[in-house]
Amino acid sequence: MAKTAQEKLDAKREKAYYKKHKKMYRTKPGDVIFNIFNYIFFSAFTLTCIFPFYYLFINTVSDNELVKRGLINFYPKGFNVDNYIALREVGDLGTSFIVTISRTLIGTALMVVASAFVGYIVTKQEMWHRSFWYRFLVITMYFNAGLIPWYLNMALLGLTKNYLAYIIPTIVAPYNIILVKTYIESIPAELEESAFIDGASYMVVFRKLIWPLSKPILATIAIFGAVGHWNSFQDSLILMQGNEKLFTLQHRLYNYLNQSSNLGTLMSQGGTAAQQAMEQALNSKVIKYTISMVSVIPIFCVYPFMQRYFEKGIMLGAVKG
Amino acid sequence: MKEEITEKKGTLSSLWIVQRVIAVLVIVMAFFPIANPAKICGLVSDKISLFTSAISYNSLISDCARAFRMNWVDETTFVVTYIGAVIAVLGIAATGVGVCTSMGNNKLQRFGLKFSIIGAIAEVVGYAVCFVGYILVRDTNRVDKVAPSMPVGVFIFGGIAALILILSLVLFVKTPKALPGEKFEMESKYKLFLMFLPFAILGFLFCYLPLYGWRYAFFDYKSGGTLSSDNFVGLKWFAYLFKNSATRNDVINVMKNTLAISGLNIITSWIPMIFAVFLCEVRNMNFRRFVQAFTTIPNFISWVLVYAVALSIFSTDGFINTFAKEVGLMSQNAPGHNYLMGNSFTWVKMWGWGTWKGVGWSAIIYIAGISGIDQSLYEAATVDGAGRFQKMRHITLPGLLPTFFVLLLMAIAGILSNGLDQYLVFENAENRESIRVLDLYVYKLGIGNGSIPLSTVVGMFKSVISVVLLFAANGMSKLLRGESII
Repeated sequence: MAKTAQEKLDAKREKAYYKKHKKMYRTKPGDVIFNIFNYIFFSAFTLTCIFPFYYLFINTVSDNELVKRGLINFYPKGFNVDNYIALREVGDLGTSFIVTISRTLIGTALMVVASAFVGYIVTKQEMWHRSFWYRFLVITMYFNAGLIPWYLNMALLGLTKNYLAYIIPTIVAPYNIILVKTYIESIPAELEESAFIDGASYMVVFRKLIWPLSKPILATIAIFGAVGHWNSFQDSLILMQGNEKLFTLQHRLYNYLNQSSNLGTLMSQGGTAAQQAMEQALNSKVIKYTISMVSVIPIFCVYPFMQRYFEKGIMLGAVKG
Repeated sequence: MKEEITEKKGTLSSLWIVQRVIAVLVIVMAFFPIANPAKICGLVSDKISLFTSAISYNSLISDCARAFRMNWVDETTFVVTYIGAVIAVLGIAATGVGVCTSMGNNKLQRFGLKFSIIGAIAEVVGYAVCFVGYILVRDTNRVDKVAPSMPVGVFIFGGIAALILILSLVLFVKTPKALPGEKFEMESKYKLFLMFLPFAILGFLFCYLPLYGWRYAFFDYKSGGTLSSDNFVGLKWFAYLFKNSATRNDVINVMKNTLAISGLNIITSWIPMIFAVFLCEVRNMNFRRFVQAFTTIPNFISWVLVYAVALSIFSTDGFINTFAKEVGLMSQNAPGHNYLMGNSFTWVKMWGWGTWKGVGWSAIIYIAGISGIDQSLYEAATVDGAGRFQKMRHITLPGLLPTFFVLLLMAIAGILSNGLDQYLVFENAENRESIRVLDLYVYKLGIGNGSIPLSTVVGMFKSVISVVLLFAANGMSKLLRGESII
């Protein structure tokens, strides 16, 4: 696009101004020192955030003998992926994976649909006692009965030792409902009105109009929901006592980390000679590292996609309901 | 003539209200264990409701494994009871559907009444089947072990179901027939409400219903026991908390830890803001993005994984020890030092982990805040000869202060809620005394020791104080800024 004469003139003036006041804009020695410290500080802090994960990783892909002797500190030696293959032998890890992945997928999907739907309904002024019912849901963010009454309540509803305990309570998420509601309110009302004039019902408007238009916010809450499900630990710890098959990955990892004795004994007994040799080669430390790595990898995989939505999510969160 | 019609309508609508209220009452009652029609003997837990009995056969027979093995009672008895409960709950659900559709026009109302009638009949049948289960179990020869008990609930629920049936029939007769060609219709305000209703029920079940668990605080309840007038102890546990010297010392210790760790977090809550301000001084955008990307990662890692990371770095065979050995700071055979054990600086350590995990994430909101500050302010300040720090002090920080203030108030309101995960995973034999925060204490007391009433009391105090603090913070915000935070 061609610049107008006025813009050209402005640019010229600006340049002249900077030239005239060059001294003011010159980098001072103090600034240089400040910058150096700034860069050093942020580099160091970022390193503390990356290095532990890198350290775990190189220890899981190195020669186990060297790991045992504590020789893997900065780069992998004697590359192998046997540890990851050996995880198949660690009892019950597979079921935990299935439990965690399925609850992440199902729980997040239901939560997103419910939040979108409720978020849409509560924007409708004509709903019967709308503000009361909206507050009825939102106020639950600010109080809770406490851990033990919550546990007793779940027992009352038959949700202990029950897979549904991971899904049903997470469907209604007041905070996410507020986010969606705020977002939907920013969509021009004329769109909806024209749809209603054309004879569309609430469901049709929701499906054809609101759902596609609010995808950015839905992606945001989906990501936060999925991370929450993936990291969930407390519900498994408290509700699933006595049903090991339903432990989530984090709960399983917690149990492994707390076992001081070697994990080798947890590996299935018997098997071929090669398997037994593998068992012997693996020490508990490496298995712990490998399980940790496996539970952290999915987060790292979705992380680049998540990042786009962070800022939006947290900024919308600052808007009160 | 006209008056007569309105009068007729008046009685009809009050009948409707009665029918709806009763039906809702039954639905709510189905979730409470009191008067469960499926409680046919002592083997059925006191804690399960009609609803639970119907959705989970396993809960119904959870205490019966031994009885089945010893052949005290035939399993078919319980199958019969279970079937009864399922029929009854389906009936209740049908009544619920009937109530929902009763908000529509005549055609929809008549349609719904059919549901209500069928539902009420199903309920009665279901309770009768439950009663058959009781009759079967009554004939057992091991009365002492099985302890058959008359399910009073059958009569209570059955009576109410009969009432609904009568009301529905009356309404069905009184409701005028739909005109030919009339469609199912409902006012949109009720339509929207009915769409919202399932979620309101979920919210009720998981957020309001737990408050009903506070009643455990007033009973001498042991895990697996029952609540009855025999073990009602009034405020005994509230007094016990302060009178018993052991628990009093525990509570004092726990409060000290909680307030110390929360206090450290509140005192240092400016750190994310400074982090953001300094990060925005970095002119290289790629470096800035890189830092932002990696410092937010720990926020998305669970505390269990943070602990795994901590182990890999600080434990006896972790990075610090092996590195010290490699560079010769420690002899090869020296036993490593486990930095996670030990009780020195536990509060500071916990604060450190929290800050490491959260600072990058908390900084995002401030970074967004900085990018929202008017750039011309900086330009004007530069022209006036302000240096870097002067600009920070006089432009950036004042611009961020409202955000900081809100977050600070929220932190103060949450002073008692440190969360459970972090302290649970980092707890060990040596730091037990100084890591035990309120949430961990409640967990250990209730789930670990089984002192359910006492831990409920502690939890009640925590909940009430938190809500009061929240309102106080909100009031303060209104007073100082004229804006509420909740």
